Amino acid sequence: MSTAAAQQTLDSRIPDGPIDQKWTQCKNEMKLVAPNNKRKFDIIVVGTGLAGASAAASLAELGYNVKAFCYQDSPRRAHSIAAQGGINAAKNYPNDGDSVYRLFYDTVKGGDFRAREANVYRLAEVSNNIIDQCVAQGVPFAREYGGTLANRTFGGAQVSRTFYCRGQTGQQLLLGAYSALMRQVSVGKVQMYPRREMVDLVVVDGNARGIVCRNLVTGEIETHAAHAVLLCTGGYGNVFYLSTNAKGCNVTAAWRCHRRGAYFANPCFTQIHPTCIPVKGSYQSKLTLMSESLRNDGRVWVPKDPGDTRSPSQIPEDQRDYYLERRYPAFGNMVPRDVASRAAKERCDAGYGVGESHLAVYLDFQRAIQEQGRHVIESKYGNLFHMYKKITDENPYEVPMRIYPAVHYTMGGLWVDYHLESTIPGLFVLGEANFSDHGANRLGASALMQGLADGYFVAPYTVGHHLASSGLKPVTTAHPKFKETAVEARNRIERMLSVNGKRSVDDIHRQLGQIMWDNCGMARNAAGLNTAINEIRNLREEFWQNVRVLGSGQSFNQALEHAGRLADFLEFGELFAKDALQREESCGGHFREEHQTADNEALRDDEHFAYAAAWQFQGDGQEETLHKEQLTFNEVELTTRSYK
Amino acid sequence: MNWLITTLSSTVGRKFVMGLTGLFLCFFLVVHLAGNLLLYVGPEAYDHYAHTLHEQKGFLVVAEVLLFGAFIVHILLAIKLSRGNYAARQISYAKASSKKESRLVANVVAPEAWMFWSGAVVLGFLILHLGDFKFELWWGTSLQAIDSPYDKAGVILRNSLRLFVYTLGSIVLGVHVSHGLASAFQSLGVNHPKYTPCIHWCSIAFGWIVGIGFASFPVIWSLTESAAAP
Amino acid sequence: MISPAHHNLSLTLKIWRQPHADAPGEFRTYQLQDVSPHMSFLEMLDILNEQLIEKGEEPVAFDHDCREGICGMCGMMINGQAHGPDHETTTCQLHMRRFEDGDTIVIEPWRSRAFPVIRDLAVDRSAFDRIIQAGGYVSVKTGQAIDGNANLIPQQDQESSMDAAACIGCGACVAACKNASAMLFTSAKVSHLVQLPQGAPERKKRVLSMISQHDEEGFGACTNTYECEAACPAAISVSHIARLNREYMKAMLTSKE
Repeated sequence: MSTAAAQQTLDSRIPDGPIDQKWTQCKNEMKLVAPNNKRKFDIIVVGTGLAGASAAASLAELGYNVKAFCYQDSPRRAHSIAAQGGINAAKNYPNDGDSVYRLFYDTVKGGDFRAREANVYRLAEVSNNIIDQCVAQGVPFAREYGGTLANRTFGGAQVSRTFYCRGQTGQQLLLGAYSALMRQVSVGKVQMYPRREMVDLVVVDGNARGIVCRNLVTGEIETHAAHAVLLCTGGYGNVFYLSTNAKGCNVTAAWRCHRRGAYFANPCFTQIHPTCIPVKGSYQSKLTLMSESLRNDGRVWVPKDPGDTRSPSQIPEDQRDYYLERRYPAFGNMVPRDVASRAAKERCDAGYGVGESHLAVYLDFQRAIQEQGRHVIESKYGNLFHMYKKITDENPYEVPMRIYPAVHYTMGGLWVDYHLESTIPGLFVLGEANFSDHGANRLGASALMQGLADGYFVAPYTVGHHLASSGLKPVTTAHPKFKETAVEARNRIERMLSVNGKRSVDDIHRQLGQIMWDNCGMARNAAGLNTAINEIRNLREEFWQNVRVLGSGQSFNQALEHAGRLADFLEFGELFAKDALQREESCGGHFREEHQTADNEALRDDEHFAYAAAWQFQGDGQEETLHKEQLTFNEVELTTRSYK
Repeated sequence: MNWLITTLSSTVGRKFVMGLTGLFLCFFLVVHLAGNLLLYVGPEAYDHYAHTLHEQKGFLVVAEVLLFGAFIVHILLAIKLSRGNYAARQISYAKASSKKESRLVANVVAPEAWMFWSGAVVLGFLILHLGDFKFELWWGTSLQAIDSPYDKAGVILRNSLRLFVYTLGSIVLGVHVSHGLASAFQSLGVNHPKYTPCIHWCSIAFGWIVGIGFASFPVIWSLTESAAAP
Repeated sequence: MISPAHHNLSLTLKIWRQPHADAPGEFRTYQLQDVSPHMSFLEMLDILNEQLIEKGEEPVAFDHDCREGICGMCGMMINGQAHGPDHETTTCQLHMRRFEDGDTIVIEPWRSRAFPVIRDLAVDRSAFDRIIQAGGYVSVKTGQAIDGNANLIPQQDQESSMDAAACIGCGACVAACKNASAMLFTSAKVSHLVQLPQGAPERKKRVLSMISQHDEEGFGACTNTYECEAACPAAISVSHIARLNREYMKAMLTSKE
């Protein structure tokens, strides 16, 4: 390893005191902005998913002037909308022994002890407020006959704490946050800028003071100044080309901030979701997730005989290997995602995979249908079954689904302290875009929880504290830094358009995805990671010499948008591989083949790797500097995660 | 009164009033058809009905004012709405095709897609019809000489232009109300899983009854022309 | 069981090309060979675009994002049908197995005065956002909420509300309506909120201002042809439009404003 670990410690600003008092303590100590002064502050929110929409609405309600940006044609389309299963909260309505502490504990354990305790505790603490807030907005959560809120179980937990709206929980929560945002637009407190892509951050005197963005319709480069910038731009799963992310999801905003000084933490922590529809052909443009909630009733299996080519219904019970139930009797089909994904890969690698590609396992509902009746299964999963049939042309009521893991969520992200502030003062990072709460693996139904916790209940306090305590000078877009940054952005676009080579953006992106999947996917080793680093460098070079982007920068040009995103993925991918290379242990979604137990379970190394790896950009062609934030566990004992 | 103007200039308010006036006009059709059916009972019954009706001067004035008002409002709003609807599309599709499944016969007729034009045909028919029966225009003195309403009707209905226009007008009217009746309920906000299917089928049945009922008079009278003519 | 082996398709595509909002547009015809029936419709367009780029022609612009039928970003008229021939399906979820070898497919953008074309098949649907801004929300600030279980909501009401809330805002209802009316979209939001106790306090104001905005945007009136319902990928029922009509007149007749 050539990367030098910097000695400088990162200040995570975790408040003193017992864990259940930290957030209260923090709120009590934070400085406030007087009501009349709030309207003197401008705040930029980039991204309008759960984190962005909730933060923008909440800050505007407080009286700040908010400008919100998204690349979609409407804030309602952010990819939070695709989350299916549900949202966790420690309400303990089912009376099954849940508590804030248990939700905290499960999340830390589920994250394989690579998350920051204090942040996770706060997350669990505000989880209940989120449910109340969403209900108040008119989110139609599932209800019992008596009219009370219903819950279901989810992977990695032994209590029923997941609230849901059929299979469209993300959609309903996002529409709730979106409606709050639209209300603020109507009263003039939020200015909405859809079809804008943030292409750079403007840092003035060390503070984040604005952004440069491209108007995707006219191609115009715009600059916007503010007193703080909130990045709520989601994850970077599309570095794999094929993922369950929306096609437009990208790392650009986060990466541009990284290049301006924000540390990037744990980029190699990627979640591979076990229940996705397998890849069909080389034309495939994205992968579709089937909610984890399906594992509540579906049983995962492969034939015991690897050569068994009979149709699944013809394979008798005793010749099926329900391998999750076999390996993990306590949790069975409900083991956390990383465990389920790896187990599927293990079976397929051993030759037991099913379907044409042999890269799939069965998810079978026969027993559930027999026991509960088809209409019950239909009411629980009707829309998922419908979607599966649309895509595969197979009826899952009759034939088991075929599933395979796919890239789904990225736990890594920009490093933030307890205030969700990055290493650039005034740049806050919320939701999937930050690194803080899920460690090395995220449990189901907790992404929605985190996005909304950050946006509704954390950022409104901590951003206010920053504004009240930083003594920011007035800055407008006339400041030379804005001009300078805008010129850089424009030049970069011109450069991309002027290459006029042979390969399309899609073509190069596919190749990057292949490199990433082969070497940085579900299982990683040093040789593969080194290969990836070299290949990504070469591909990056090829991109700048051989990409073909037609049309002009002054128009609606989707290939150009994609090219800009890919250019950043090509830089980011290398850091991803380097991070995976330095982490000489297996934890959560990061599985190093060199570090496993005799029965192929992940082997964590707490002595050497109980830290968050925060990378500092040093300039093009320079090695990034690694900073380590030691993670201390006072509340939760570091144990080997076992779901057996 | 501001709210009334707002209502009448909003799409939903206009449709609401379209529905109200439409339902009233449908009610009138029922009464009108019932009266006309007396033609089949015989001259005495029909003439008695006609004379009794014409003696109710006060009632007639009120009814005619109401009817006329309903027609005018219905027509004016239809024109307003159709202009707005036409403008809303701006550029028409090169190719258009329905996605509705329940369209066998209706796929050809598609009454709901042609309400404005079927309404316009009905209006034309109505003008001719009023000219014939109410104002006895364009008949010179030939009708004045006839005392019995029954005989007057016979003369008018046996005219070959009337045969064509009245038959076509009646059928188009049937088509118009077969959608219009159910549509009025929807516009008034009446939609319930228990009753809506019934309203839908009743509306179609009503369309057939109105269409066939009114078209039967010119058709049967012209068929009986040769037989009955002295 | 496993679907019968399909042969790859050769297609003729007639696609609306329009460089920008103010430029005139026209149909251009493209031949596309070797299309796998397992491809989604948008993947088929991806392949076409790859070939266009190779030939030096600018690719066809079309909106899309999640490609799993929930974000509502994609949408185009396919042979005169919004989102193509399948029911309860967005364009991204439509698969080429639905077409025959040798087919000609006509592809147009949504047509509505309120949805101006941005480029090719991409249109501006910000009118929908403005309708929501007019009142498609519950006025509750962050932190003001009472306990989620404080209001009991009968399961039936919640389910019915959820039926309406499932709208993805794609605009197919407008595209399919002969009057380019957005009544299904507007009614879905009104119906979603009015069936919940949380939405009740603002029910009158909401419906009146949303309809006023709907009309101002230049959408047409609902003439109950129900083409919207047939085209809706989220299966939103026209019964919500009836509820909207009811709510509107009730509000108009009883509101004190």
